[in-house]
Amino acid sequence: AEVEETLKRIQAHKGVVGTIVVNAEGIPIRTTLDNSTTVQYAGLLHQLTMKARSTVRDIDPQNDLTFLRIRSKKHEIMVAPDKEYLLIVIQNPCE
Amino acid sequence: AMFADGSAGSVDVGSLWRRDRSARCEAKSCQTGPIATAEAAVQAGRKREAGVQTEQGCPGLPAPGSLQEGPTDAAHLLSFLQRVEDTVIKELSKNCRSHAFDGFEVNWTDQSETVLCLHTLSYPEAQHRKLQVTGVSWNATGAVIACSYGRLDDGDWSTEKSYVCTWNLDRRGLNPQRPDLVVDAPSSVMCLAFHPSKPSLIAGGLFSGEVVVWDTSRTEDPLISRTGMTDDTHTDPVYQQVNWLPDGKHRNHFHLLSTSTDGKILVWREERDGRLVLAEGFALVAQQIPRSIRLRKPAWGEAAVGVTSLSFSHFDPRVFVVGVEGGFALKCSTAAGTEAPLRPGCSLPLRAPAELAFSPHGGPVYSVSCSPFHRQVLGKHRASEMFFLSRNLFLSCGTDGHVHLHSMLQAQPLVSVQLSKNYLFCVRWSPVRPLVFAAASGEGKDTCLCFKGEVQLFDFEKSAQKAALSIKQAPGESPVYCLEFNIKQPQLLAAGDATGAVHVWQLSSDFTEQGPREMKHLEQLASEVTD
Repeated sequence: AEVEETLKRIQAHKGVVGTIVVNAEGIPIRTTLDNSTTVQYAGLLHQLTMKARSTVRDIDPQNDLTFLRIRSKKHEIMVAPDKEYLLIVIQNPCE
Repeated sequence: AMFADGSAGSVDVGSLWRRDRSARCEAKSCQTGPIATAEAAVQAGRKREAGVQTEQGCPGLPAPGSLQEGPTDAAHLLSFLQRVEDTVIKELSKNCRSHAFDGFEVNWTDQSETVLCLHTLSYPEAQHRKLQVTGVSWNATGAVIACSYGRLDDGDWSTEKSYVCTWNLDRRGLNPQRPDLVVDAPSSVMCLAFHPSKPSLIAGGLFSGEVVVWDTSRTEDPLISRTGMTDDTHTDPVYQQVNWLPDGKHRNHFHLLSTSTDGKILVWREERDGRLVLAEGFALVAQQIPRSIRLRKPAWGEAAVGVTSLSFSHFDPRVFVVGVEGGFALKCSTAAGTEAPLRPGCSLPLRAPAELAFSPHGGPVYSVSCSPFHRQVLGKHRASEMFFLSRNLFLSCGTDGHVHLHSMLQAQPLVSVQLSKNYLFCVRWSPVRPLVFAAASGEGKDTCLCFKGEVQLFDFEKSAQKAALSIKQAPGESPVYCLEFNIKQPQLLAAGDATGAVHVWQLSSDFTEQGPREMKHLEQLASEVTD
């Protein structure tokens, strides 16, 4: 289906280690990683995204979170938030 | 006259009158301590039954790649993805080309630049008897270090007692000359290993060929199991290696594995009466070594190949690497089926585990160590299957002063480093930095201009030819026989030497923090496999 095509395009991008789609309750519904890693990423990033969103809106109620990026020593985690879903992409920065 | 008057002394007989007896009595009294009482009340509440049951496939977590949502949700999902796809792809591309973070590193902890000797532990009585430290081990919590005393330079049979000493480094009143616990052993202890999850159990291999287990939390008699001297036990000293193995069937039970120069690798199971009983065993015989390299033909029948060290792969519990006296390493598997030639008196048939022989060193191999970091290629055949291709790396070192880095896939070493002209007794990978290992060196034939008794730290990232750091263990020239990293506190490295002292070194931050591209470098090293 088209959903799979879109996810495959994202996963095929240079350096992408994994892609996870999480629903509004924090439950992963699509993933390319193994179960335990997926559950860990989904739970933790869902909470962090909610916290980031509330931080942005507390500072300015007219503002809202559009994108979240976390850079760590080993890779970069990108979160695209939405009302119903969350798209998490983990990428190894290409050297 | 034969008889004459004489007088004898008088004899007293004690009086049995009760009055007299009571004169020798003492008054005593006793009283029990006050009995503490407390009021307490308990009341049973009302209860209600309720049941919960999970289903076989958790609906929120499908196997990767399988479709889960109903048609309406798929439409929402699709529109969401279409909305975010462009943004995400743009960010991913930007990230690839970005130089924003080049060379940017954050220090979360204080960096220490130097290597310190934190403690020098020793047991004076063992030192008086000129015993050497033959093995060190950290316990499961990383707070206690134990060392075994014995002799490594004795060629002939010895029955002298020796000791196992433990120190708790977190204790405030730590006295480096006085171990917290000293356990007497009936003969020289050649190696020891703490249990991986129970912090008080230690297993030790003795010069007599026995394997024993001590429980350091028992004060009266720490010895809890032993193999005894049966037909099954080793006939040669258990040099170098005693390991705890997780039991395949029961997760929390562990078996003990011991190796010895008689060529046997035995797995022991603990029985309730304090005996260690043979669960399974392997024997290495020269005839059954895979002939990928040329070996000198043994002078007589089936020569046993003496095992000096063993290391299990961290990722496939059935695969292990063995170092032998003949100077090479062997890749073995516990799943091997062929039987070794029958030994007299052995209660279980022993199997021949060797699958691949690696190219030899110039002398006996004393230590092997499998890397805890490896490369895992994850792929999917079908939606429900994943396969792993792991190329395990391991190190081997021996009396030729060389360390070989091998991949389990080929016989030739990937890298061969000459660390020193002395014997190398022990080599261990660092538990945190995939490119770092430590080696302990000792006596050698070339006595001029060589530093004996060193711990050398090698970093593949800095140099592929010489050691990044050499630590001279002690003044004088006594060889260092064993070393172990502390898994829970990876900046600590313990090394035991022939003077009977254990030094605990604190390493500088470059040896304890993983760099951002280290795993990639390791993978590159591993993939230099010549096809």
